[in-house]
Amino acid sequence: MPYSSFSPKARWDRHIHETGEEKSSTAIGRRIEVLVWFKNTRANPRLFIWNNNKYKIKEITYYWQERRGQETLHCFSVSTGLDLYQISFSSVSLSWRLDKVIS
Amino acid sequence: MILHIDMDAFFASIEQAINPRLKEKPLIVGSRDNRMHTVVCAASYEAKAYGIDSGMSSRDALQLCPNLEFVPAQQGRYIWISEQIFRMLEGYGFSLAYTSIDEFQMDINDSVEPQKFARQIQERIYADFHITASVGIAKNWLLAKLASKLNKPNGIAVLTDTNLTEILDLVAVGKICGVGKKTGQILSDLGVKTCLDLYLKSADFLEQNLGKYGFNLYLSLHSQERFEPAEEESRPKSVGHSYTLPRATQTPGFIRAWVRLLSEMVAQRLRAQNLLADTVHLWLNGPEMGNLGAQKAFHEGSNDGYQIYQRSLKIMAKIGPKMPKVRALGVTCSGLLPNRYLPLFEEQKRREDLLKTIDKINGRFGEGSIYPGIIGLTKRMPRI
Repeated sequence: MPYSSFSPKARWDRHIHETGEEKSSTAIGRRIEVLVWFKNTRANPRLFIWNNNKYKIKEITYYWQERRGQETLHCFSVSTGLDLYQISFSSVSLSWRLDKVIS
Repeated sequence: MILHIDMDAFFASIEQAINPRLKEKPLIVGSRDNRMHTVVCAASYEAKAYGIDSGMSSRDALQLCPNLEFVPAQQGRYIWISEQIFRMLEGYGFSLAYTSIDEFQMDINDSVEPQKFARQIQERIYADFHITASVGIAKNWLLAKLASKLNKPNGIAVLTDTNLTEILDLVAVGKICGVGKKTGQILSDLGVKTCLDLYLKSADFLEQNLGKYGFNLYLSLHSQERFEPAEEESRPKSVGHSYTLPRATQTPGFIRAWVRLLSEMVAQRLRAQNLLADTVHLWLNGPEMGNLGAQKAFHEGSNDGYQIYQRSLKIMAKIGPKMPKVRALGVTCSGLLPNRYLPLFEEQKRREDLLKTIDKINGRFGEGSIYPGIIGLTKRMPRI
């Protein structure tokens, strides 16, 4: 097999953090409440509540998972029609977070 | 036949799929969240049209295209998506190998029609992940990889015995995997300009001019063995990490802190594979010194970040009393052996217990949850 020792995880410097200076992300990291519709074993977030405001989700643009130690984060990029947000569900705390406003 | 599946502008395509606003726009994915001081990890095809490509500094890229969109790399999601694609491909039941985070090779038999099968894979990748892939098909892994580059993006190229010479004659020799600038220049001086020129050279000719590498290149090009022969063990030859700083600095404490962080990252990977390394290689790059690399072999192997750091400092001490300006640095360990030694002394046992505990904490709460205090210095870039 070619390059049999390759592992995608080993390629990345996952715990290198930022060295100060300009940052472009708009991180929020706040706990939110989410209304989810489950269909065909998939979770589909439909609405979230942040700062007592309801945000109706019009489209889930992408779904992926990230791992942090033993914790699995189920991440969704969701569009309200006006803005795009990243929300995630933690397999450890069983809670939802609004990670950031993407645009 | 071998199918080489190469994702098109992988990281940039994922970011465009996540954020529809970025679709069809020139976009770069930076290695860190700093628009002006980072390196391009991936460029969308719209950005490539401006001459922007991976490895370029973001400052240069922005000069070429001032309205360039920027997204910092999100490693976690790329790794997960890469793993999902691998799993999906595994489902076809053919022998499959990772060649990098965005490239896979599959050894298919005669039960499928290669081109039709490649199209099916492309459609499935697009349906499941909303990104495209290019597929190269050929008799061996090196030619399949070359073929995957010929019809990008979302293309399929097949090299068969009938079209092989015709196509190779149109492709510059530098497109072959492993032929970099230096080798390309040597080959060019020898009159080898196209892939066909290279393909027609004898094993003796390539060995005489390029050494063992030339002989291996000949074997890879002409191999009927579909996959590259596996090494006797899957143990890596070296483990290394490197990092490019936002700008050059000569603050000794800051540079040492980075050497320590890289040493810890290397050591953690060695411990995860139960390996010891007896050779440490330190590499520094700066505007005045250029590339400076040195290595030293030690009697005793180690997988302790502190020891690797101390060994790196010994190598660094050879540079001289004054710290030169450093822009990028790397720590690599080689001379890897399985760790079969039990600690003899109480102090060694305590150290090993400490490292095991640190690994457990980082394994549970995520990498970088606990680290030596000096690493905290890497968080703030010094002004000078």
